[in-house]
Amino acid sequence: MRMSCAPCLVALLLTTARCWAAPPSEYQVKAVFLFNFAQFVEWPARAFTDTQAPFVIGVLGKDPFGPQLDAVVRGETVNNRPLLIERYRNIAEVRSCNILFIGRTETGELPHILEALKGRSILTVTDAEEGAPGGVMIRLVTRSNHIRLRIDVGAAKAGNLVISSKLLRPAEIVGGQG
Amino acid sequence: MRGAPATIRQTLMKVLLLTSGAVMLTTGLAFGAYDFLTYRRQILHNLATLGEAIAANSTAALAFENPDDAQEVLSALRADHHVVAAALYTGSGTRFASYPAADVGMRALVSLQEGYRFESGYLIGVQPVVQGSRRMGTLYLKSDLGALREWFASFGLIAALVLAISCAVAYLVATRLQKLISHPILTLTETVSAIAEHRDYTVRARQLQGHEFGLLSDAFNHMLERVEQTQARLQSQLGRLDLLHRITRATGERQDLPSIFQVVLRNLEDELPIDFGCLCLYDAKADSEGLSVAAIGARSLEHPLGPVVSRQERVPIDQNGLARCVAGQLVYESDVSAAAFPFPQRLARAGLSSLVLAPLLVEKRVFGVLVVARQPANGFSSAECEFLRHLSEHVALASNQAQLHGDLQRAYNDLRQSQHTASQQERLRALGQMASGIAHDINNAISPITLYTESLLEREPNLSERTRNYLITIQRAIEDVAETVARMREFYRAREPDMNLTRVSLNQLVKQVIDLTRARWSDMPLQKGIVIRLQTELSVDLPDIMGAEVEIRDALTNLLFNAVDAMPEGGVVTLRTGASLTKSDEDAVPIVYVEVADTGVGMDEETRRRCLEPFYTTKGERGTGLGLAMVYGMVRRHSAQLEINSVAGKGTTMRLCFVPALTASLVAEHHPPALNTSHGLRLLLVDDDPLLIKSLREVLEGDGHSIVVADGGQNGINTFQAAVQGPEPFSLVITDLGMPYVDGRKVAAAVKASSPATPVILLTGWGRRLIAENDVPACVDRVLSKPPRLIELRTALAELSGVSGRTPAKAEAS
Repeated sequence: MRMSCAPCLVALLLTTARCWAAPPSEYQVKAVFLFNFAQFVEWPARAFTDTQAPFVIGVLGKDPFGPQLDAVVRGETVNNRPLLIERYRNIAEVRSCNILFIGRTETGELPHILEALKGRSILTVTDAEEGAPGGVMIRLVTRSNHIRLRIDVGAAKAGNLVISSKLLRPAEIVGGQG
Repeated sequence: MRGAPATIRQTLMKVLLLTSGAVMLTTGLAFGAYDFLTYRRQILHNLATLGEAIAANSTAALAFENPDDAQEVLSALRADHHVVAAALYTGSGTRFASYPAADVGMRALVSLQEGYRFESGYLIGVQPVVQGSRRMGTLYLKSDLGALREWFASFGLIAALVLAISCAVAYLVATRLQKLISHPILTLTETVSAIAEHRDYTVRARQLQGHEFGLLSDAFNHMLERVEQTQARLQSQLGRLDLLHRITRATGERQDLPSIFQVVLRNLEDELPIDFGCLCLYDAKADSEGLSVAAIGARSLEHPLGPVVSRQERVPIDQNGLARCVAGQLVYESDVSAAAFPFPQRLARAGLSSLVLAPLLVEKRVFGVLVVARQPANGFSSAECEFLRHLSEHVALASNQAQLHGDLQRAYNDLRQSQHTASQQERLRALGQMASGIAHDINNAISPITLYTESLLEREPNLSERTRNYLITIQRAIEDVAETVARMREFYRAREPDMNLTRVSLNQLVKQVIDLTRARWSDMPLQKGIVIRLQTELSVDLPDIMGAEVEIRDALTNLLFNAVDAMPEGGVVTLRTGASLTKSDEDAVPIVYVEVADTGVGMDEETRRRCLEPFYTTKGERGTGLGLAMVYGMVRRHSAQLEINSVAGKGTTMRLCFVPALTASLVAEHHPPALNTSHGLRLLLVDDDPLLIKSLREVLEGDGHSIVVADGGQNGINTFQAAVQGPEPFSLVITDLGMPYVDGRKVAAAVKASSPATPVILLTGWGRRLIAENDVPACVDRVLSKPPRLIELRTALAELSGVSGRTPAKAEAS
């Protein structure tokens, strides 16, 4: 056993060194989070026009991700649906969309946006600052250098979305009504 | 256990317990192995389930990079204290969270194979963390095998308990079950030990249950039966062997056929046993005579239907078993009632049915037959026939040896008798020689007495009466001495001279014998305090007989001695004479007898039978065994009879019967008157005894002869030869016989050589013996015995000088 330990340790050291060499940026992490939400949330069937319809992640407002988001989803599928990134300048452009990231630039438009999306099965995600108006289903909160989730269960339920209890575990839950 | 072999009970118990123990152990091990594998799989599965649950709960934490949450999920592993370590790794392999929290082991996961496995004493699990179809990371779990050890402990405890209980149960069951096998075998074993201990083969084993055991007990009983039969056969065979041995030994101790036969038959009757037995002798050379019955068993004689055969009876040999038997075969007739031959018929009439005839064979010659019979038919087994064959061989051998022994004994007796005779004759010869020598000396010594006494009585007329009487007494005494000496010599005479029969008066002889033997029958017994009375019953007018007086006297003397010896306590001896007629036969002959009767011990049958044998004596060392033999010899020579009447304890009478003399006087023996008929002869006297020469010379000179004396033989020859050619030759020579260097024979021969006509008278102390033995030398004209009687001397001188001119003079001597 001791014989095989040495090469193992060397390998471990090498991998960790590489990881530490390039720590992921904030929006890189948030891009991964966006993709991961697709794994823990169930959309109703009517959210898709047909069985072949792509799974769409939309970014409303100014795109903070740059190419990161595209890099994350490249080659990925969700429930055998191809992934599609769409960028919207305003809410009117939002058509068939499953996850909608609302950038900080749209904080002021939030009530309006939410109003527009009311009744639609679109998981809304924002990384707006504290104090912004509620009603967004998942808010990405940066706390002591870690990105934490704050989930508005009522809003999700209103949008006919089922959020996996697994997702709820690491998250902070608000708006339990309904 | 060691030392004493295990009993079947123990062995069976051991087998049963070991078998059940082995089965239980094998079963327990199989169950244990199966359970172990199952349990192993189960803890693997449990860990996998645990891993899957943890992994499922960790997806969100991994997906949204919340290590605290992951840590919390992992801390749930605390519930399973066997999980010693766990870690969550991100998809890129970076450690995300670990348990226990303080663990600072692996920071990153390097290509560990997925799945759950036992590895170096731990259970290792590598579980992928997947959400939907997306791999979120990897869960690493490490569990120790405490559960397995616990399982082991509890399983071992339970197995040991079960094993112990099973063993106890198996023991109880085996104790009962082993009896099924051990009990029959032990029963058989007990039977075997009982038989071995008491040697009683009549015991039988109990019939056992079960096929093989039944067969075993049957076979065992069958074997016992065989052993019993064999034992019985052996026993009877041994008994017969013993009987054969006893008979052989008994016959070996006996040397005569009748007692050998009797002992054989008695043993057969008592021991075999038989109902009838006899032994017959057979002589092949006289086979027309058949068999002669030599011995019959004592019980066979007392047969209720009377004796089948009688002793000495002749049994004819016909074409029956006897013919085959005398040809050397053993014949067994199992049932004689059907046989048509006389001998078997006789047995059948006596109720005897089975018959065995065994030949007595010696050197392939049948000399007898052993006949044994039993009442029942088929009464003899083949073993008994074989026994009888062996017995007959032994009996034949013993009989043959008895005969050989008898022959040997007789030969030995003959040899001993011959040796005895030879030594006796040697002794007699020595005694005779000694007696002759003594007689010679005595005769020489008394010669002068005779000559002077006679001369005095004849030539001295002036002798006083008293002197004359004295001289006559001296003369008679000398004559007695001479007679005694002569008789002594006769007594030891070895050979009989020609019988010189004279008239003998038995009465006279009896008186002489009584006088002669007085010392023997009167004085000697008296010294020992024994009184023997001797009486005579002499018949007057007894006829004389013709006989040799001396021999008859000797015979009577011997008879008288025997009579005295027969009365060690004293008694009466009667000497009786008489005349009678012979008792038996048609023409009775007159006889004269003399008998000696005593009142002594008498003779038994054997002594009576053997008393006349030479050297047979009842007197031990004192007797020569010749007395009666001499008597018998005399009797035979006289054609007389010897009658012996003896009753043991009463006494013995010995009678000698003679034929009486026919005529009153057949030979008148008379001496011519002793006259001095020759005168003036010139005589040469040759002798070496000066006393004899002196007396003879004086007596002869008194008769008017001129005497020349020569001292010794050589002197005599010289003197004679000197004178023969001279003017005065000797007209006669008287010479002594026994002289040193030159004896009388040589002197006579020399005289005859010089002058054949000169007569020679030989004087000898052995005189009569010389005459008796017919040993007179040819050159001697007359032999005169010493002491010379003057009458004889004168007669001889007269006769020889008268014929001195005639030749040959020796014709007179023969």
